[in-house]
Amino acid sequence: MRDCVAFLLAGGMGSRLNILAKTRAKPAVPFGGNYRIIDFTLSNIMHSGINQVGILTQYQPYSLMQHIRSGEAWDFIGRSRSARILPPSTGINASDWYRGTADAVAQNLNFAKRFNARQVLVLSGDHIYHMDYRPMMRFHKKRKADITVAMMHVPWKETKHFGIASVDGDQRIIDWQEKPEQAKNNLASMGVYVIGMNYLERALQNAKGYDFARNIIHDAVFKDRVYAYPFDGYWADVGTLRAFWNSNMDILRKESGLNLCQWHVRTNLDDEGHIADRLPTRFGKNAQIKNSLISFGCSIEGQVINSILSPGVRIEKGDRIVDSVIMHDVIVKQNAHLTEVIADKRAYFGAHSEIGIGEASRPNEKFPRHIFTGLTAIGKAAQIPAMTKIYRNTIIEPFCDKDVIAAQDLHVGSYVKQRRVKSAVHLAEENFN
Amino acid sequence: MKKTLAMVLAGGRVEELSVITLFRPKAAVPFGGLYRVIDFPLSNLMNSGIDRIGILSQYRSDSLINHIGSGAAWDMIGSFRGISMLPPMKGTRSSDWYKGTADAVYQNMEFISNYDPDYVLVLSGDHVYHMDYKKLIKFHESVNADLTLAFVKVPKKGAERFGQAIIDDENQEGGRILRYAEKPSQFISPWASMTIYLFSRQALNFVMDEMMKPPETKHFGNDIFPVLLDKKRVYGYKFRGPWAYTRTIDEYWQTNMDILKDKPTFDIENWNVRTNLENEHILDRTPSLFGPNSLVQQSLIHHGCRIDGIVKHSIIFPGVHIEEGAVVENSILMFNAIVKKGAKLTQVLSDMKVVFGENAHVGVGELAATNIEYPNLLNSGTTLVGKGTHIPANLEVGKNCIIYPNKRETDFPKTKMENGRTLK
Repeated sequence: MRDCVAFLLAGGMGSRLNILAKTRAKPAVPFGGNYRIIDFTLSNIMHSGINQVGILTQYQPYSLMQHIRSGEAWDFIGRSRSARILPPSTGINASDWYRGTADAVAQNLNFAKRFNARQVLVLSGDHIYHMDYRPMMRFHKKRKADITVAMMHVPWKETKHFGIASVDGDQRIIDWQEKPEQAKNNLASMGVYVIGMNYLERALQNAKGYDFARNIIHDAVFKDRVYAYPFDGYWADVGTLRAFWNSNMDILRKESGLNLCQWHVRTNLDDEGHIADRLPTRFGKNAQIKNSLISFGCSIEGQVINSILSPGVRIEKGDRIVDSVIMHDVIVKQNAHLTEVIADKRAYFGAHSEIGIGEASRPNEKFPRHIFTGLTAIGKAAQIPAMTKIYRNTIIEPFCDKDVIAAQDLHVGSYVKQRRVKSAVHLAEENFN
Repeated sequence: MKKTLAMVLAGGRVEELSVITLFRPKAAVPFGGLYRVIDFPLSNLMNSGIDRIGILSQYRSDSLINHIGSGAAWDMIGSFRGISMLPPMKGTRSSDWYKGTADAVYQNMEFISNYDPDYVLVLSGDHVYHMDYKKLIKFHESVNADLTLAFVKVPKKGAERFGQAIIDDENQEGGRILRYAEKPSQFISPWASMTIYLFSRQALNFVMDEMMKPPETKHFGNDIFPVLLDKKRVYGYKFRGPWAYTRTIDEYWQTNMDILKDKPTFDIENWNVRTNLENEHILDRTPSLFGPNSLVQQSLIHHGCRIDGIVKHSIIFPGVHIEEGAVVENSILMFNAIVKKGAKLTQVLSDMKVVFGENAHVGVGELAATNIEYPNLLNSGTTLVGKGTHIPANLEVGKNCIIYPNKRETDFPKTKMENGRTLK
């Protein structure tokens, strides 16, 4: 696949991931214990034998840059392999922030040209799936397509979130609806495109807007050769907290199709200091683990049921962690109970605290569309005081300290924010990881 | 700061470790659910700021070469840092196998001269301990020594396995060595050599130029030190931290199991020990998955495991699968072992890639006195299983048994392997 270059769109804000994306770009959000969301796509690229990747970033790129580093973790190293972060730049031809995904690709076409690419693979960095792109590229060549879009059938009720296509008997796309209210079909775009280099250059010049799906794909369907490549494996857009939690839980459901053990996903354990230097996880005398995924470097004395633990988590005696996603270095002091909690890195739960209690009787007061099914989201390094009761659908913002939370009248759907002026240290921390 | 070059002795096999060292030198023996023994001295060197290292390898060095890799795991990479593997070689000056510690250094004097260090730190790659060599160097300088050896206090029983020294009571840290004897049959001192020798460059040159008479002169301990005491300022440094020799199955076992205690002697967590995660593909493994009926207590488990059975008081290396209904107690299972349904393991030490068949019971029954063939080597009840062996389904294996590597189902007796038996 030496004639192919991959562009990975990793600039999205991911605002629906709420607290998780406050301090990092969406593709850098931790997933599945010790991975980040972007690892899945990067590993797919690696396993497909593609040697050059350009990663288009704009929003909060630090944690992403830290994570990609030299690209060595995915074997993108050597004289003919590389993974490059491509931030917006000023210059004669390109002189502005990326105005959209198509604009980002347009401003970096030279990257692809430098490697004499004849085909460009455009991917987004925020999906969880396992795919070999090579059959798709062969399909593209065989059909002499201008654009090939990877597509899969989704439940009808979700069609409004996707680009929806209708195809003829040869998989040629004959109709396209972008995020329709009334879909004519349930064949949805996965945001994976193969495009001929010459075609792409022309299309970008003639595009009427800056969005890849809307202004390149959608417009091409009605005049050029656009084909749908069928995919039927596991694929998840983890763009919302609910979807993020669900997809994490899919790791624990055998029948879900999300089979981490067989996907050979790679990650970079050298980022943020020394994750890799941690010990094996230590299970104590009273530990009880059921149906969970547990990373190294944890210490577990209590119960962990149906949960995902990232490296360095400490679960003390009498704790009960159920249906939760717990990220790096979270500390849960004795006798705390967590149910359906997403806890970001370094969150601290005081002894006897109870998180995720009651019914999901009303949605979050500030973000009713982000949290309404009963999840509780605890931001990075938030400090929950001992004995605190936190009800379902609550959001605690990153860096909330004990006093702020203690002063709050907590109920179902609470929203707690750190009101004090942030110290320089906090600000610096927010910009990393 | 003065330049120090470390020469790590990692060539020895250590017969007492039986099947565990059939395919690897002792330095490459897996330890603590993740590490190799040599990780401890290498991490000590890294933490002490010594970043130019030669590794003297000889016995079955492939596993060691794999493990060391580029040296990047210990930050030993760059234009002024690095780890060089120094296997035996042929050449105009030196042309044979290493015949001992002194001979190995002697054959690599060119490597040492190229780097031109002020100090040469010769150390063994097969001890588990946490030591700041900077303190040793400081002591060496403060007493103006030509050579300083590190010692640790050991009980009288078993002391005959070490070099022993009578050290003058100059101060808390150590003093001049008054007498040195390598593995004496008569106990002379509780201070046992840790095989850590810090030479000033001139002293090393003196030893190599004046005292070596190859092939007769082989070992520092036997041939050099007892004579050198009168010629140079040779000091003993008293190390008082935790240290383990792990030279017998028993010692290896206990040192591993110590980590499982609430307050372990070997507080690895705070030692900043590094290992090469590219070896055995540790880096590529997923976090471990625990099934709905698993039970895991008092154990260490790293990545890449699938646990559906019961694990108690055990150390489980990456990639181990324990199926439903299987019970693993008081055991150490190295990389990629598979324990099939209903299998029961008690006090088993198994090497990499061992498969325990369905309902196989290993290490069961009353404690037999010893292994029949190797009574001194194996008598605490542990059953050893060599690399890549497949233990057949439904087989019963007793205590103190030794099973050699790569045995197939058909190599075993039909239903039972009695206590203390060895299968070669």
